Amino acid sequence: MLKRYFMLLTVGLSLAFAPVVYSAESSAMDAVRTTVEAIIGILKTDGMDKEARRSAMETEIDKRFDFRAMSQSTLATNWRSATDAEKKEFTGLFKQLIQNSYIGKLEAYTNETVAYPAEKVKGKKAVVETMIKTASADIPVNYKLYNKDGDWRVYDVIIEGVSLISNYRSSYQTIVKDEGFDGLMAKMKEKIKELKTADAS
Amino acid sequence: MKKYIVLILALAFPVSGMCENEITLAYAGDTNMVSDYSNSDATTPSRTGNSTHLLVAQVGSEAATSDGDEDLPFLDDDDETLEVWDPIEPFNRGMFWFNDKLYFYLLKPIARGYRWIAPEPFRVAIGNVFSNLATPVRVINAGLQGKFGDAGNELVRFGTNSTLGILGMFDPSKEHFGIAKTDEDTGQTLGHYGVGPGPYLVLPFIGPSSARDGLGLFADSYMDLTYYIWENSDYWYAVAYRAINKLSLDKDTYEGIKKDALDPYLFVRDAWTQYRQNLVKN
Repeated sequence: MLKRYFMLLTVGLSLAFAPVVYSAESSAMDAVRTTVEAIIGILKTDGMDKEARRSAMETEIDKRFDFRAMSQSTLATNWRSATDAEKKEFTGLFKQLIQNSYIGKLEAYTNETVAYPAEKVKGKKAVVETMIKTASADIPVNYKLYNKDGDWRVYDVIIEGVSLISNYRSSYQTIVKDEGFDGLMAKMKEKIKELKTADAS
Repeated sequence: MKKYIVLILALAFPVSGMCENEITLAYAGDTNMVSDYSNSDATTPSRTGNSTHLLVAQVGSEAATSDGDEDLPFLDDDDETLEVWDPIEPFNRGMFWFNDKLYFYLLKPIARGYRWIAPEPFRVAIGNVFSNLATPVRVINAGLQGKFGDAGNELVRFGTNSTLGILGMFDPSKEHFGIAKTDEDTGQTLGHYGVGPGPYLVLPFIGPSSARDGLGLFADSYMDLTYYIWENSDYWYAVAYRAINKLSLDKDTYEGIKKDALDPYLFVRDAWTQYRQNLVKN
């Protein structure tokens, strides 16, 4: 009897403390918003040198974007037939490619505003809708997220109906078909090098 | 391809009115999370084992990112790859190359010069005027698809913007009355009734298109008031001006695609096809 009481007490206490351990944002929209605000903060901070700024933004992006999930989704059937080492290598390259492509563009931020019209959650998946308002247009940008143990991670970005991952998937699949998986990775490495030298200049 | 501005802004996540966020300074000191992947030769050092990723995840905001070592089964469901029918790919690639040269050697310099002379608000206003003149395209096609609400909205927009908005230069119907433009054209109407896009086509000057949408554009041009206001040779000058003006508002979208995509032709083809699919659906 006493034993059972203690057991219940323990369970009760651990449940009470559980939220502390899994203290992540509970809502997908909050997750997106947090990352957005952090990145804006970085962009607006004066006196940060380029390297530090880039590194800070990469950190923020890494927290929210799950590059391995994005890689898996991009390669689709080709992923399933890849070895573990190949998967890791591809994920690494893909991450560099995306970061080098987009972080530079983030630096061109000119005070556009973002609205968060809606969020749809179904179990462990969510879609957060945002709207970017520019001078000449309103651009709907949606994020697809999945819940990884309390933390929402992005695995696709959909811009005006165009899924980024689906787009990469189509191009990459054609390249793999024509030049093989190694051919694809070689192209990626080349592109990363190009982007790095373009940035340095 | 103005829509590609978004690729630029996609990860921008700007939020208006946010004041400096002190948290950000703390991140500057964090170890660079990219370091594990920055050597493309080295195999990635092993991450903490799969079973512990539960706790690795997110205690507090400074947790190490863990992209995990496991495949996610639900992603396999999302797998359908867009198949674009491109039977004349060599021809299309040639046309893509032609458009590329046309852009860099002719259109872009002109647009740049124009951009230098004319301030942005002016160019936005001009864009709005032409967009307003294209209202019949949207009204007719929305109507043909049974979207009478949208058709009605477009008529209201035309009335408001032409008067209050001074010949369409401004968009009070969106800014003050919340009635935004709905994009409809003949290609979408055909798609609505089940006409597939047909073979992918890269058209000179225009860029990515398809058999269906090319025909659609042709039909649209007869519904656009621009055709009736400017006659004969002036019409082509108006069309050219419209294009240059639009280009001047673009923020290096094509340059961005060229820079980042492994194969710009494929990237444009697939993105554009998806974009049209989505427009037809909605």
